[in-house]
Amino acid sequence: MTEPPRIVVVEDEPQIRRFVSDALRKEGALPQGVGAARQGLDAVVTHEPQLVVLDLGLPDMSGLEFIRSLRTWSRVPVLILSARTAEQDKIEALDAGADDYLTKPFGVGELLARVRVLLRRHAADTDATPVRRFGDIEVDLARHSARRGAEDLHLTQIEYRLLAVLLAGAGKVLTHRHLMREVWGPGHAGQEHYLRIYVRRLRQKLEADPARPRHLLTETGVGYRFQF
Amino acid sequence: MPFRWSRVRYPLAVVLCATTAFVALTLRPWLDQANIVMLFLLAVFLIALRLGRGPAVLAAFLSVAFFDVFFVPPHLSFSVADAQYLVTFVVMLSVGLITTHLTARLAERQEAAQARESETRMLYGLARDLGSALTVDQVAEIVGRFLGSMGMSAALYIDCSAGGQADFLVHGMLDEGAMACASDAYRRNAPVTDDPRAAGMMFLPFSGATRVRGVLAVGQGRAERLPLLDTAASLAGIAIERLHYAEVASRSELDAESEKLRSSLLSSISHDLRTPLTSLVGLADALAERGTSLPDDSGETAAIIRDQAHAMHRMVSNLLEMARLQSGRVMLNRQWQPIEEIVGSSVRLLDESLATRRLAIDLPTDLPLVSFDAVLMERVLCNLLENAVKYSAPDAEIFLSAQVVDAALVVTVCNAGAGFPPGRIDRVFDLFARGQHEPAIPGTGIGLAVCRAIIAAHGGTITAENRPGQACVRFSLPLGTPPDVSAELT
Repeated sequence: MTEPPRIVVVEDEPQIRRFVSDALRKEGALPQGVGAARQGLDAVVTHEPQLVVLDLGLPDMSGLEFIRSLRTWSRVPVLILSARTAEQDKIEALDAGADDYLTKPFGVGELLARVRVLLRRHAADTDATPVRRFGDIEVDLARHSARRGAEDLHLTQIEYRLLAVLLAGAGKVLTHRHLMREVWGPGHAGQEHYLRIYVRRLRQKLEADPARPRHLLTETGVGYRFQF
Repeated sequence: MPFRWSRVRYPLAVVLCATTAFVALTLRPWLDQANIVMLFLLAVFLIALRLGRGPAVLAAFLSVAFFDVFFVPPHLSFSVADAQYLVTFVVMLSVGLITTHLTARLAERQEAAQARESETRMLYGLARDLGSALTVDQVAEIVGRFLGSMGMSAALYIDCSAGGQADFLVHGMLDEGAMACASDAYRRNAPVTDDPRAAGMMFLPFSGATRVRGVLAVGQGRAERLPLLDTAASLAGIAIERLHYAEVASRSELDAESEKLRSSLLSSISHDLRTPLTSLVGLADALAERGTSLPDDSGETAAIIRDQAHAMHRMVSNLLEMARLQSGRVMLNRQWQPIEEIVGSSVRLLDESLATRRLAIDLPTDLPLVSFDAVLMERVLCNLLENAVKYSAPDAEIFLSAQVVDAALVVTVCNAGAGFPPGRIDRVFDLFARGQHEPAIPGTGIGLAVCRAIIAAHGGTITAENRPGQACVRFSLPLGTPPDVSAELT
């Protein structure tokens, strides 16, 4: 990236907006803070940002409506800020097209880490190499194979499909519903336990310590996140 | 009408017959005898129609007698010259009696139909009044008025038992014997009549759509009115059941309203408390991140402010969670899932405080799926791990393990250290109970209370115990029957 990334921050609390903007500016980005959803949509039109940071509890429009409206004409990544207890709101926002969320209260380090991942995802959308590496695992998406060092990991078809979907959405939070639909197709609502079983198997095959996973992370009550 | 005229019916019949005879006598020069017979038959027919069966029979015989005496030669004598007249008498009498019978039956039927119609109208009126009744008192009053209009008295014996507690309400006057009879009728769901304990009374049980609702006690009731009374009792039953369900519906609506109010209050408090904390954590963190560019130990101060704000947030979260759990109906979002998902995410959430600690996790790889609310269970594990960190020396090891014991998944969190103070070990789960008297370690003692409330909501148990050199908290979750996942989902 040659020019600094533009980021729109939609947050009605001025103090939070201020420290988020400060942190982003120090990181070398150009933040544009607004206090309401409609201004936020306008700002996305005028600034053409690479990322939107969005508070879910806005006074003039629900965050969900904001995302739905935004997603009709823009693919810009959206990072949600929300309270811990509102799992259902997060799930709806993610299913509507948001990419990641941050639970309040959060530290600057956490915020910047998420922002970096989303900006990198945005820039790397055109990545054409078929090989993904994490830990000591190497996945070849072209040849449908996964290896640990020289040892071939035997993944079943579904395990592989799940891994491929997780890799494709790496850095994003993927809801249970999204994963079920991508791996098993539509019409499997209420059978999320299958997903959990397959995630457990993948962890046992891929993670050094399945009880403390480093790549295939649980977002409790929401879904999973894959991080390299 | 036969009833109003009942006392003069017979004399009237006689007078009518005599009048007919007189008219016939005056018209005799111009009339055939056959037509005179017709006049008498007409009189009998009219008497049967208006005065009823008895006077008509009398009229039939009188007509024959008058005809014989005044019109059949020899006149003014019962003797008959021509034997042919005997046939006339027999036919006349037969036609008169048959006409009487048919007409009377017609009149009786009409009367019965009118009685039924008025009964139906009364019941319709009763149903309409009961339909607009708003309280059980009104139902009792309406039924009482209805029976009163027929010269009977009414009392209602109503079942208003709730929650397994038998309770009966009586509207009206019932003495001891009558109460016993009503209770009998209620228990057997069958009418009780002619009981020596309550002479002259009838007890008719009535039910709504679901069960027997009570008994209608009728004083001075007549047996032939039983079908009517039975219907009245049923109507009362339906009305009482309607009132019952209306009350249930309005009560549950009220409950839902207050539940909604409570939860919206909690979530707005939660938002209002969290917003300044988020600013505090973020701003302090931004300061601390600046690190070396700050004078002296300001960076360290900022880090302390941030950590304290975090601690305060945890406390607030626990308090709000407790308020939510204590408010009664907690909706658990139960899903079948492996416990290690929650272990992994809890450990990651506490990354900072666990970073400097040794944590040993022992989870068999084949633990069964358990049905629980992931967000709440994560809070339980976080609280237990936080406590383990808080109440042990900085170098003490922390252990987390899970295994299946009998029909439950048992999760144990231990820390090396002195353990819970003996004698107070059962009370550590009480709200605002603290392990130690001195407030050297921050916390409100709400963490374990929240854990207990969450585990209890899942039907599990939680206990604290001291092991040699260790303090442990273990909780168990019932296993249940996990869904079959052996078949591939395609």
